[in-house]
Amino acid sequence: MNYFLRRILQLIGTLFVVSLITFAAFYIIPGDPARVILGPEATEAQVEALREELGLNRSMLQTFSDWLTGTLRGDLGESLIFRQPVTDLVAQKIPVTLTIAAMSIFMTIIAAFPLGIAAARKPGKFADQLISVIGHFFLAFPPIVLALVITLLLGLTFKLFIAGEYVSYTDSISGFIASLFFPSIAVAIPKIAVFQKFIRTSIIAERSKDYVRTAKSHGLSNMMVMIRHILPNSLVPIITVLSIVASEILGGVLVVEMVFNIPGISRLLIFGIENRDYPLTAGIVLYLAVMTVIVYFVADILHSLVDPRIRLK
Amino acid sequence: MQRIIRFRNHSIFLILGGVFVGIVLFCALISIIYLPDDPMATNSMTKLAAPSADHLFGCDHEGRDVLSRVILGSRPTVIISLLGILIALLLGMLLGSAAGYFGGAPDHFLMLISDSIMAFPGILLALVFVAVIGKGLPGLIFGLGIVFAPSYARIFRTGIRQLKDREYILLARLIGVKPPRILFVHLFPGLVPQLAPAIVVGIANMAMAEAGLSYLGQGVQIPQPSLGNMLMEGQSYLVYAPWIIIFPSIYLLFYVLGMYFLSEGVRMKFKTGGV
Repeated sequence: MNYFLRRILQLIGTLFVVSLITFAAFYIIPGDPARVILGPEATEAQVEALREELGLNRSMLQTFSDWLTGTLRGDLGESLIFRQPVTDLVAQKIPVTLTIAAMSIFMTIIAAFPLGIAAARKPGKFADQLISVIGHFFLAFPPIVLALVITLLLGLTFKLFIAGEYVSYTDSISGFIASLFFPSIAVAIPKIAVFQKFIRTSIIAERSKDYVRTAKSHGLSNMMVMIRHILPNSLVPIITVLSIVASEILGGVLVVEMVFNIPGISRLLIFGIENRDYPLTAGIVLYLAVMTVIVYFVADILHSLVDPRIRLK
Repeated sequence: MQRIIRFRNHSIFLILGGVFVGIVLFCALISIIYLPDDPMATNSMTKLAAPSADHLFGCDHEGRDVLSRVILGSRPTVIISLLGILIALLLGMLLGSAAGYFGGAPDHFLMLISDSIMAFPGILLALVFVAVIGKGLPGLIFGLGIVFAPSYARIFRTGIRQLKDREYILLARLIGVKPPRILFVHLFPGLVPQLAPAIVVGIANMAMAEAGLSYLGQGVQIPQPSLGNMLMEGQSYLVYAPWIIIFPSIYLLFYVLGMYFLSEGVRMKFKTGGV
């Protein structure tokens, strides 16, 4: 239990620094939200009055401590421009973003494992070379370019989907999933290339160990050795890489959402940045950081389940 | 003779990568002295004109020559990715060496900062930093530099922790060699096999991040062309004039793919494993 306690404390420390960076960053951004709201016509006195009302004249430390105590109670404050609670605004958009991320992670896992295992079967032979060449090509495919290629090729040329169409999850769950299918693929493809390569390397490294030879000499089939011995033992590094991949996927979704014109969190984020709406932006950044930290945390827990030795370190 | 004929895997990657990156670098360099056409001049006669002998890559929605814009637009990609990595490397070297060499409290503190930075999806933090420092080249270079620094700090820290208890380092300390000299002369050369591929991949990732930021309108500002903001501007004309986005896409792909190939070649040359 000591191990988990230590991990949770570390987690809280990280999140505190994360929110401090976010907040400090947005507090020193030049520009005046009050001026943005009132427009260039407003007089200096009006702007000053609104600044006072929005609490923009207080010191940064004061604002941060207020924001922090609010955040600890689950209240991220109110958006300066929308005049709505940030949590409400985020709650409308975040399901879309998280669905794309979850679908991409799922696609990455189900595609990368078979590919990695197939490539590792006979290193250097045809299947391995083929997967390696294609993998290298997609590994370095910028997500925006991939998203545009998918729109152009699959959407506009082969008419597999209607470019720019989005079905809200309040209308139809299946339509919602379907409309997010191609965006998720655009995010997932480069990550499949990274992940399968890593799985291949880990399996090859694990297979050269003595216990694998022993297992085979006991008469276990290759299949059984792979499922019972090699895969479980190579899971620790694989989970680590998967957690990094998952965090990159979340970043990739932010860009791809814009390419496919999906009303997810990224448009709200850009809006917040452009209009100096720092409670909104800080709230979104914190949300996404918490998501990433949770992913790492889950990976840590899985590690200690897969390999109990880790808890003792 | 046999050595020349024998299929050398890593040189294939180095050659392919070198050619891809070379094309983009050449364009970025040539843009200083020569452009086929004025990349900013709008022309209502050539709006959305298809590629032709006059305009090899066609024209965009304002009649601007896409070839000239791509050539000029590859310049920020190259400048930002190279200088940004330099900043990331310097910051990473400073923080990572301090953490690795001194250990203890400085190590814990610096690693907490670096863990926190790595807890964000990269592009998100880049958005924040660029908003603070300012859109445009300096903001992008420093913003992306800070975001990419922790991964290099990690390489320095781990490498130095592994190497600093070796006998040759202990002996160097014993005869009174100062820490900076130990770091630069005795420790850093040992890190090159890990660092070199990481730097080259970092350049590629930074080019992608820059394109992403410019695409989102938070990077290089229009009308100044960059590969990312050309994609943003051209996207609405995807159906009628795909060449507006196809050519910048190809340039970006060349640069990123080329860097990945180079890093693969470098990695094979040093025989370091990993992803």
